[in-house]
Amino acid sequence: MHIVVTIKQVIDPLVPPAHLRLNAATRQVDAPAGIAPAMNGYDANALEEALKLVGVHGGTVTVVSLGGDSVRDTLRRGIALGATGALHITDPGYVGWDALDTAHVLAAAIARYTPDLVLCGRQASDTDAGQVLFGIAEALGWPVVSPVRAIHSIEETGVVVDRLTERGSQKLLVALPAVLGISSEANEPRTPAVRSVMAANRARIPTVTRSELGLNAEEGRVVLRRLSRDVHDSHAEIIAGATPAETGAKLADALHAAGLI
Amino acid sequence: MSARTELHDELRREVAALCRRFPAEYWRALDRERAYPEAFVAAMTAAGFLSALVPEQYGGLGLGVTEASIILEQVNRSGGNSGACHAQMYTMGTVLRHGSEEQKQRYLPQIASGALRLQAFGVTEPNTGSDTTRLRTTAVRKGDRYIVTGQKIFISRVQHSDLMLLLARTTPLEQVQRRSDGLSVFLVDLRDAPAGAFSVSPIETMMNHETNAVFFDGLEVPAENLIGEENRGFRYILDGMNVERILIAAECIGDGDWCIEKATSYAKERVIFDRPIGQNQGIAFPIARAYANLRAADLMRYRAAELFDAGQPCGAEANMAKLLAADASWEAANVAVQTHGGYGFAVEYDIERKLRETRLYQVAPISTNLILSYLAEHVLGLPRSY
Repeated sequence: MHIVVTIKQVIDPLVPPAHLRLNAATRQVDAPAGIAPAMNGYDANALEEALKLVGVHGGTVTVVSLGGDSVRDTLRRGIALGATGALHITDPGYVGWDALDTAHVLAAAIARYTPDLVLCGRQASDTDAGQVLFGIAEALGWPVVSPVRAIHSIEETGVVVDRLTERGSQKLLVALPAVLGISSEANEPRTPAVRSVMAANRARIPTVTRSELGLNAEEGRVVLRRLSRDVHDSHAEIIAGATPAETGAKLADALHAAGLI
Repeated sequence: MSARTELHDELRREVAALCRRFPAEYWRALDRERAYPEAFVAAMTAAGFLSALVPEQYGGLGLGVTEASIILEQVNRSGGNSGACHAQMYTMGTVLRHGSEEQKQRYLPQIASGALRLQAFGVTEPNTGSDTTRLRTTAVRKGDRYIVTGQKIFISRVQHSDLMLLLARTTPLEQVQRRSDGLSVFLVDLRDAPAGAFSVSPIETMMNHETNAVFFDGLEVPAENLIGEENRGFRYILDGMNVERILIAAECIGDGDWCIEKATSYAKERVIFDRPIGQNQGIAFPIARAYANLRAADLMRYRAAELFDAGQPCGAEANMAKLLAADASWEAANVAVQTHGGYGFAVEYDIERKLRETRLYQVAPISTNLILSYLAEHVLGLPRSY
């Protein structure tokens, strides 16, 4: 079986939020210098599921990512973890906010592989939109299920998965080929052996451009105008009284005045 | 950025990522329970880091001492302790450099994969200490076996090792021309050792460092487990000691950087008398001095590693690296305690644990005084003092 896993490069979630800076000019969040970007955590779960499936059923895993040159490092990470191959898609106009456009580009690349299954992370840790996988499925005309917390089995009629719902889960049989959005409940991603990391540095990663995929440049239909961080103020006040009863009454008055009770 | 620098950065990132799975709470709990970091060592083995110095043809990573030192440094820099597993990296060097091809084929691939743990090194004895050539453990040839009798002390990780590299006297001291002659190195398979002929007695120490006294009472070792030529073992272990010194220097550098980072962060955050304590030169200067000494030691560590990797003599540099780095990490740990005041003694801050761990390297695996003696005699040409 051939599985394609879509990978997005994000700011390493281990960077403390206090160290992140909002860049008004580029409308991006900047990580401190010297901190390498990372693979989106849910995408790492998706890759882990793919590697487990080919471990059982045989086959190949291709990791695909859209972005600048730096995403090649994240694709190499995917190879170090066990992916068979990688594809880097470049698109000078890519800004990452137009989920549908991103999905069209990825779908055009994925279609070249005619995979049995496309695994995506349920969402990306930077935009948290969770829309791209649905766009890919729409473009390919395939069924899509997300968020998936477990892949149970591959059967002749499709793949059996557990889909998370608000209060439980659904067990679904999904006809192949299909797109699945993998959630973090599915697994604990493996750590690559250092030998694989070193070997991945020598791996050849082909690059394909948007135009080579037969797609024209498009105006972004979703444009990010401003990025801001909510500021939360907090303060502490000590309520004191001569007796516990008086303290309690003062506390009740203060809470009432603040509209909390 | 050169390919080599990229590799170093990559190793640091990978080790740091692995170490994030073993946070301070993990090491604190081990310290409290005096337990061996099984899960951490298993993860280091599975990731392949401990095979760094095994050549690729025997299943290892085929990296140099510089790279191996970066791996161990990063473990300590991340708040962990490489002492539990560093010997799996370098003890095999004696087999690699002096063993037969048959021995290398038999042992090195399994050591590289972690299927065989060779991280016990039996040299020190209770009555001879650093006067190694006078050690009393004997190995007497009897047919196709050697019969080993004697005692060793401060032998670390024996209970987490399948094999032990053992130095024993095969020709009595009075029959050799030089005291360093007549010693031989054996690879002892601890898994086969019968209880009556080999026993282990754990020694509780100041820090959580699994060490033991071991006793040999007629233990039979197959003659094929002799490494190199009989009676030349002392020379074989000496060249392995340079690697050990360089790697431990790097661990000290990692400890030192961890301590300085802790001290610096705390000095910026802790406000007393309406200002951060780091604004007081009485706090800032000792941290700055410790940092300067640490960076100087780090340069010597890299110099020693560079010489070793180039196949050049590096005895002086390896010893100086260990001396300077051990002093620098001890200074940094003391500074971290002083900066933290009372909190430096609180277990949850981890500073006191690091203080105990860094203190070890003033004494082991070679005491600071013996390094000074080496430098005085062999580098400066001063008369031998002992």
